[in-house]
Amino acid sequence: MSQFISLLIGGLFLGAIYSLVALGFVTVFKATHVINFAQGSVLLLGAFVIGRTHGSLGFWGAVMLGIAAAALVALLIDAVLIRPVRRADLGTLAILTLGVDILLATELTREIGTDVLSVGAPWGSDVVEVAGIRVAESRVIAGGVAAVLVAAFAAVFKFTDWGIAMRSAAEDGETASLMGIRLNRVAAAAWAMAGALAAIGGLFLTSFPAAGVTGGVGLVALAAIPAVVLGGFDSPSGAVVGGLIIGVVSVLTAGYQDELSFLGRGLGSVAPYVVMLLVLLVRPNGLFGTKEVTRV
Amino acid sequence: MSRALVTAAVFVVLAALPIWLESFWLQTALFAMAAMIAAIGLSLLIGIAGQLSLAHAFFVAIGAYGYAYLAGEGVAPLLALLGAVLLAGLAGAAFSPIAGRVRGIYLGLASLGLVFLGQHILQNATGITGGYEGVAVEPFSLFGFSFSNTDPDTLVILGVPYGRLERLWYLGVVLVALAVWYGRNLVRSRPGRALATLRDSEVAAAVMGVDVVRYKAAAFTVSSMYAGLGGVLMALAFGRIVPESFGFVLSVDFLVMVVIGGAGSVGGAAAGALFVTALPLVLNHYSGSLPLLAEPGTGGVGASEFSRFIYGAAIVAVLLFARDGLAGLARRARKERVA
Amino acid sequence: MSSRLVGSVAVALALVVAACGKGGAEESGGGAGTSADTVKTGPGATADTITLGYLPDLSGVFAPNGKSQMEGANLYWDAKNKAGGICGRQIEVKVQDTGYDPQKAVAAYQQLSGDVIGLGLVLGSSIVSALLPSVESDGMFLNFAGWTSDILPAENVAIAGTTYDIEAINAVDFLMSEKGVKAGDTIGHLYFEGDYGENALKGSKFAAGKHDLKIVEQKITPADQDMTGQVSAFKKAGVKAILFSAAPPQAASLAGVAASQKLDVPIVANGPGWTPQLLKTPAAKALEANYYVVSSMAPLSVQSEGVQKFLTDYKAANPKGTPSSNGSLYAYAGAQIADAALTKACENKDLTRKGVLDALHSLNALDTGGTVAGTLDFTDPSRPPGKLVYLAKVSADAPGGLKALGEPSEAADAQGYEFK
Repeated sequence: MSQFISLLIGGLFLGAIYSLVALGFVTVFKATHVINFAQGSVLLLGAFVIGRTHGSLGFWGAVMLGIAAAALVALLIDAVLIRPVRRADLGTLAILTLGVDILLATELTREIGTDVLSVGAPWGSDVVEVAGIRVAESRVIAGGVAAVLVAAFAAVFKFTDWGIAMRSAAEDGETASLMGIRLNRVAAAAWAMAGALAAIGGLFLTSFPAAGVTGGVGLVALAAIPAVVLGGFDSPSGAVVGGLIIGVVSVLTAGYQDELSFLGRGLGSVAPYVVMLLVLLVRPNGLFGTKEVTRV
Repeated sequence: MSRALVTAAVFVVLAALPIWLESFWLQTALFAMAAMIAAIGLSLLIGIAGQLSLAHAFFVAIGAYGYAYLAGEGVAPLLALLGAVLLAGLAGAAFSPIAGRVRGIYLGLASLGLVFLGQHILQNATGITGGYEGVAVEPFSLFGFSFSNTDPDTLVILGVPYGRLERLWYLGVVLVALAVWYGRNLVRSRPGRALATLRDSEVAAAVMGVDVVRYKAAAFTVSSMYAGLGGVLMALAFGRIVPESFGFVLSVDFLVMVVIGGAGSVGGAAAGALFVTALPLVLNHYSGSLPLLAEPGTGGVGASEFSRFIYGAAIVAVLLFARDGLAGLARRARKERVA
Repeated sequence: MSSRLVGSVAVALALVVAACGKGGAEESGGGAGTSADTVKTGPGATADTITLGYLPDLSGVFAPNGKSQMEGANLYWDAKNKAGGICGRQIEVKVQDTGYDPQKAVAAYQQLSGDVIGLGLVLGSSIVSALLPSVESDGMFLNFAGWTSDILPAENVAIAGTTYDIEAINAVDFLMSEKGVKAGDTIGHLYFEGDYGENALKGSKFAAGKHDLKIVEQKITPADQDMTGQVSAFKKAGVKAILFSAAPPQAASLAGVAASQKLDVPIVANGPGWTPQLLKTPAAKALEANYYVVSSMAPLSVQSEGVQKFLTDYKAANPKGTPSSNGSLYAYAGAQIADAALTKACENKDLTRKGVLDALHSLNALDTGGTVAGTLDFTDPSRPPGKLVYLAKVSADAPGGLKALGEPSEAADAQGYEFK
């Protein structure tokens, strides 16, 4: 039983990081109706900048720079590439971001090479022990940061002018712009925030107990996609729940690999997608996604 | 009369190319042809039926492994080919109920799950798939003539020895021609138009008496059969298949082929497939002579990275400037000439 | 007008195509013949050049490895060429990137196969699998940059040392004789999906069977970078040691998580599981405490003649680079093997592909000066050429981060192991 609890806790904390990345996806989708496949490489960029600069700028300086870089690149993607074709359909926009992702990822993996870059986090490999369960300090901090950011986002969406502007822009762009909402500004802010979220997620994904920034980190961000899908593309709470579920599923399937071996081994990469498929069968728009209403 | 002359000339050129092309080009062409067949299927599914699917690599794998398994068990190659295509079609039909419930981008990403599931099965069901070691693919043969380096052991045409690659070229050309012909007919036919209505509005189609569920299932079945056939040709082109060839990267590649070519267009899909498949291979081939590229083994940007860059840039460029893909460009060019 | 023009052009083209067929002489790099010094030559060998093909991964998952490997290969052949080459001929290296993509590899092979006498390096078991039918029918030798026995028996393949399963058997032997693992204990094995990990698992299962050990398996893929769940499973099973057959990122995570969960057990890894970079990660202390590497390739701290020569030459040619056991050192060793085969073929006056292959199979005690453990015996294509392995411990002071523990050794169990 204690193994289950320990795995569950570990999974929830990992899930918190996925939630951050998923939240970035959802923010962009809510604001601009784009599925941002480039989120993975923006994440890698943020982590890479931190990995390369923490020696000279110190950890916190590097983090600031990493977040800024990621936010800036995300913003540029929107301003330069997405804005001209904002009215295009979903598939087109998604594949456009895929093209960007390929460009960015190729260059970053070329730069990183075989390196395993440490992010220089001050909490290093410290461990926290609560009631006999040991959790890496970096994961606890990640969980805390995620909780704060999620709450902040929820508040922003609901209560601030900007949040309302964003929601109305997503619901009905034309009316919104007629009412004076600057769509491009809303979009830019959304993308920049998504970039920042990606960088923060990347920081925690490459901290202990992971090894560091490697070429393979972009693939890890791919795991956030099932989280977004099963939570519902346009629901921030869905992103959070989805992230947590995926984190738990990943860790549990790894931990119980022996018991589950009749299903084959190496379930860790497949399990999130299977869970996603199962959820979609029951709720085709994700757990919290808004049902598409077909108007005749 | 001139039309017949053109067709005849094209026919002669296609028949004669293996005499001239070296093995690198023949090999590249075979891979491209396999991709073309599969891409046509996906283009029909996305462009005509309006179903976004990222699972194409999964059905291609079924075709490839299906042929390898059947032919390996002693089934005659032609029957094994048909069997593999049918298997892929059945799998597509089995997936269509999910397509019925899930729509749009959710469908696209759900279908991505199939690819990962497929990888898992290919790696773990070692009895059938050989796991990570892969399986050898029996050469194709028809009435005793084998599309390999044997049976006949030496076949010389116009001074050129015809080995496996040269012989497979003809099989590939025939299969691609069939695929294109069937696809074009399908688009113009009644079922094709029903599918187009389905894509534009499911409600309108239903109101007009189109059996939505049946047509969706049919669309997936046909598209997966195309994928299966592409898979068989791919297996033959390789000679030995491994699970890694049928993963996430391939699925994305197919989507890119369709987008670059123009969804819904048969010719466009073929052009897109040719571009995506041949680009990295050709750039690699010429990497020695292109001035800007670093030699393999030194630092800097090599041919492969360069081709990835071009690949990514092409996607971005097409979507920004030529949203209907190459087919759209061709259509516009034709209109301008007529006007 | 236009379609008639197209038609006429097409017909003309067709006639041209039919007329200048490529003919039977696809091979440009030296056809069959006998050169002035009465050495029989075949494709890939002319009167003054011998051409070797190299198919590394320079842009895919293993790109950094591939670049390092080419450094090692170029290092060896440049020196050899300066010293006069082989058989009075200069060695030319033709490189094609496979991108770790079987499709690209097959096309790349088609491109250079006509010009080369053999393949000096091919990385990736799936690549070798895809190429083997053609390599066998073209009759050339292939240096496999990998150490899996699943590819055996293979007439045309040369491995630099022994294979992962043997390494795993040696690892178990080391754990039992030096690290206090006893019969009836449980050990964990964390391994990659694919030829590398699953081949190692074969070895560990064999050794476990012999010594009544229980193995807890944990299969992962390169995308798995967080070993929390796996360590938890190991801890629950009460493992006394962990075998590791994956890559450096997973190693750092494993060691770090194990330390944090107070799972203080030795970890023994196959060769590819180490890079000195790991000493810069937060897991460095945990690695220094508990991490060992068993491999055919020498750790860079070994004081043997071959390794030290490699290091000196490498530093001179690549002042800014970092030598690596599985990258540049491996390719260097592969070149040593190719060199020995080509030199023997020259002595036999037969520089055809078959001649080189026969020469390779006649080598029964090739001494690489320590770059590969022990001597190499290529006479039996159904067994790996090597028998011995290096055992090393992580040490921050040693060059390359690994300090060899004694001379290369062989576990007694390994002798009874059946390949396939």
